[in-house]
Amino acid sequence: MTRPPGAAPAGLPGTADLPGTADLPGTADLPGTAEQVIGSYLTEVARGLIGPARARRDILAELGAGLADATDAYRSDGLAPDQAARAALAEFGRPEQVANGFRAELTAAQARRTALALLRTGPLVGLLWLGAALASRIGAQLVSPWHWAGMPASARLVTHLAGFAFAIAIGSALVTVAATGPLTRWLPTSLPGRPRWLGAGSAASAAIAAVAASGTAAIDIALLALLATQAARTPGRLAVLPVAVAAGASLTRLTLTTRAARKCLTTSAACLSSPAGA
Amino acid sequence: MRAQALKGHLDGMLLAALEDGPRHGYAVMEALRAGSGGQFDLPTGTIYPALRRLERAGLVHTRWSEEGGRRRRMYELTPAGRRMLDDERNAWQEFSTAVTALLGPQPRAVTS
Repeated sequence: MTRPPGAAPAGLPGTADLPGTADLPGTADLPGTAEQVIGSYLTEVARGLIGPARARRDILAELGAGLADATDAYRSDGLAPDQAARAALAEFGRPEQVANGFRAELTAAQARRTALALLRTGPLVGLLWLGAALASRIGAQLVSPWHWAGMPASARLVTHLAGFAFAIAIGSALVTVAATGPLTRWLPTSLPGRPRWLGAGSAASAAIAAVAASGTAAIDIALLALLATQAARTPGRLAVLPVAVAAGASLTRLTLTTRAARKCLTTSAACLSSPAGA
Repeated sequence: MRAQALKGHLDGMLLAALEDGPRHGYAVMEALRAGSGGQFDLPTGTIYPALRRLERAGLVHTRWSEEGGRRRRMYELTPAGRRMLDDERNAWQEFSTAVTALLGPQPRAVTS
């Protein structure tokens, strides 16, 4: 099948949220019938993949190229293109089976990505708030807020809760990064039911990443609440631009972290509910 | 060959298939099939998540390469992957020596 460059993906409707999928599966050089057969198979696989868009796109591209290689091999054995493509699909396994095989990996990828994003952006958001506090000349009071003379009891409670959320978020983000990286190589290959342990480990990591994301969301809510208190008490004292930038950063992060927490829980649940893959 | 027994040694076999240099997923599968005289018969789809897991564990690293209009993910052993392969190999040697001693070919019956 020939199609103009940049045309809509042929036969990959399950990947509408994956920009660039049209070009990726390396099947464009196969005869049309074979490309169609493989395309609808990849659509089925795509339906079963839950996780970060980039990882899903990479998986589909890799499977597409592998299926094209397998089809070539069967064609050189003398099969017609569509028969060769069908033989390749049979060799790879049923689409839902193939998709299930990736569950543990996609869940781990979701967890790791979330935790790393939190650890990388955390210092930046922290610095923006520090800058806002210093520019408003209330730096010392915010750096050690419990010394804030005349601070309302509710604000004091909120700062303590934020400190608690900070400890939880950092701790669980670090645990997630550790549990989804090179540490996994020390899970002995002789362990009985190892795929199930790997799946459970990924599911747990994603749940812990969801805790880290929720903790970060709690910090942002606390910071915005403290800002609101401060604005109500001494509105003239706040340096508008730095405060607006810091508040904007927290609001943005709040949207992203709540979404990330939900995604982590979704992948975690999917990973637990699927039968152990490879 | 029994799928369960194969799966138990999949990681070691994948690392061994990459010992001679980088390969893409389907080439790994072909190497396993050829190297086992066709006995390796797990669905090809199971190779890819396993390779991804090895990558996450830091035992292989990957890069995309384009060749003949096809973008393929190439896998290559890391130093840690090489060490893990040695460990797996030693463990298998010990295990298979012991099992061969117990289950190996029946010694010629000594008849009186």
